[in-house]
Amino acid sequence: MEKPSLLPLLDARLPLDEEKVAEAARLAGIPLAQAWGVVRYYPRYRGLPQGRLLVDDPVARARGFPRLLEKADGTHPPLGLEALSPIHVRVEGEKRFVEWEGRLVPFREFRLPFALGHGNRLLPSEPIQELAQYEALGGLVFLRRALENLLAPGAILEAVEEAGLLGRGGAAFPAHIKMRAVARGEAPRYLVVNADESEPGNFKDRFLLEHHPFLVLEGTLLAALATGATRVFLYVRDEFEAAILGLEKAIQQLEEARLLPVPTEVFRSGGLYICGEETALLESLEGKRAEPRLKPPFPVEKGLWGRPTLVQNVETLANLPLILKEGPGSWRQKEPKLFSISGDVAHPGLYELPLGTPLGEAVERAGGDPKGLKAVLLGGAAGVFTRDFALPLRYKGRIPLGAGAIVAFAKEVDLWEVLLGLAEFFREESCGKCFPCPLGTAVQVEMVRRRERDRDLVGHLGQALKGSLCGLGQSAYWAYQSLLEVEDAA
Amino acid sequence: MRLRVNGQEVEAQEGTLLLEITDPPHLCYHPHTETRGICRLCLVEVDGRLLPACTTQAQEGMEVRTDTQELQTLRRTLLEWLALTTDLGQAPSLLALLKAHHGQPQRWGKLPLNRREREPIRDNPFFLRDYAKCVNCRLCVDACGDGIMGVYALALEGRGLMAHPTTPLDRPLPETPCVFCGNCLQVCPTGALRPLSAEV
Ligand code: SF4
Ligand code: SF4
Ligand code: SF4
Ligand code: FES
Repeated sequence: MEKPSLLPLLDARLPLDEEKVAEAARLAGIPLAQAWGVVRYYPRYRGLPQGRLLVDDPVARARGFPRLLEKADGTHPPLGLEALSPIHVRVEGEKRFVEWEGRLVPFREFRLPFALGHGNRLLPSEPIQELAQYEALGGLVFLRRALENLLAPGAILEAVEEAGLLGRGGAAFPAHIKMRAVARGEAPRYLVVNADESEPGNFKDRFLLEHHPFLVLEGTLLAALATGATRVFLYVRDEFEAAILGLEKAIQQLEEARLLPVPTEVFRSGGLYICGEETALLESLEGKRAEPRLKPPFPVEKGLWGRPTLVQNVETLANLPLILKEGPGSWRQKEPKLFSISGDVAHPGLYELPLGTPLGEAVERAGGDPKGLKAVLLGGAAGVFTRDFALPLRYKGRIPLGAGAIVAFAKEVDLWEVLLGLAEFFREESCGKCFPCPLGTAVQVEMVRRRERDRDLVGHLGQALKGSLCGLGQSAYWAYQSLLEVEDAA
Repeated sequence: MRLRVNGQEVEAQEGTLLLEITDPPHLCYHPHTETRGICRLCLVEVDGRLLPACTTQAQEGMEVRTDTQELQTLRRTLLEWLALTTDLGQAPSLLALLKAHHGQPQRWGKLPLNRREREPIRDNPFFLRDYAKCVNCRLCVDACGDGIMGVYALALEGRGLMAHPTTPLDRPLPETPCVFCGNCLQVCPTGALRPLSAEV
């Protein structure tokens, strides 16, 4: 069953040497072979790349990437910041800085600027990082009610069901179904918050964690009470240091105010795209290589340490207090969704828009002009290019919304360059567990490089990738296929 | 219990794996290890979804298809990619499958990232570890660890295409807990692990 996870043991010993790895393995009670597999999996145990690194993502690719790269020592995976402007990260030893507006800001102080959120409707329109401030704005009412037995677990579940909340992480699975399945499971049960947002173009979870920690925590604790979870883990992307510190402080404040009914802790993620896949995330929490598990069994039956586990995205959970406050019916009518809008728009940022908003309108909200755009990448790396600006942005539509990233590309952008960035991203992020994905993503990079348009070949690439074990491989060709469709339509 | 396989009614026992009643190609499944569901060669279509026959149990009323156009393409492509990236010279069964599927690895062009250039590791008197031939099915890692031996002399290295088995701390095998039982050789389907006595 539950053993001390290897990752924190390794983190505490950075930089690693062989003896420290052996010691961590002993403390975790696992064979050295398993610990070594972990060390050789996560980039941070191999040592951080040093120097001035260009943060790489599709937006950067559209902004003269090669020219920007010339002035960099290498690249850094997406952080959400680069969606606002091209950005560099400086790594010196174990210290990391963001280069922002000519200044070097340490990671532990850097938050996404709040000058975002135009078009807010349900989210508070200012950052709320203090408990008193959150309460003054009407926060924690429902958590208090639940703690005083005035709001039953069943009532929380019903509200979520009535609201029809769909998971905001990308899969859009009905939240209440997962919650009920866990609530029915045998104790002990766990709740894991998936806060490992690593997808290019997405920065909504980062924003919520950094600016609304209490909202996220209230939603999380309500979900924990509703499902009877006895421990909560927030699996937060390691690079979001300011968010981690803010969450830890908020947890402490809740505890002091006796408003923390369930032990809650922050876990520093493995810092890879695949760590956001829910079963890979659980493996990582257990201190293993973040490799997706075969499903079934699903985490709601056998999750963390084999126990029923609710794994839920940050934005999904942050909606729980909003649903209770608004009333599920009214919330449902408004159907709020956070969209990370970036690229060739005048005001890149985070927008709360009702589901069903046409894509073109979303772009215009951010100061973009659909007529001047070649296409939009909808959904992030695991997304599709489209120029269907009349498309209503909703789940269960023709085109996947994913986590809600919208990246706009002007007429003069070479989308094949952008696609090459995406293809390289998938090749780098493939975990290598199953066969189709590591092979197919590597082949795809070369196909994109030579601008392969042969329909059969691209079709066969997609057919084989479709057979991958997890969503990473299964979606790795969507952007490619959709670019060919966009070209055909043009 | 009854189900349909390619339109034919089939009688099966509760809990039987689809692999036991159908005949798709398979590579990573081994009855003595926990490894499975990795190579995806045994995928079949069950009620419209792609599922590995090696991990899916037969259920009453299932509609199973093992040989659709899509599955053919998938298997052919996977085999071509394996041949493109890995030396299958000592894996006759995979080469036969490639031929049976009319595979043409060259249609994908060149792949700079390649497993073929890896040098064989000769660090013990009994067998070689020739990772140019390794498809990373992990059968050996599992056989040495949880699956059969419980010795844990093998670990996994890296991610993506270049991920492959290694030893703890990348040490030569004799400096690991290895007892040279040969179980990893037994399960290796590609000849990546093979006895030195077989070398001429
Ligand atoms: S699809 Fe890719 S990321 Fe997912 S399990 Fe397979 S190799 Fe790993
Ligand atoms: S020969 Fe060594 S490495 Fe292979 S299974 Fe036996 S103990 Fe493990
Ligand atoms: S050495 Fe053989 S058994 Fe081990 S992973 Fe490679 S191909 Fe599979
Ligand atoms: S044999 Fe079934 S996936 Fe490999």
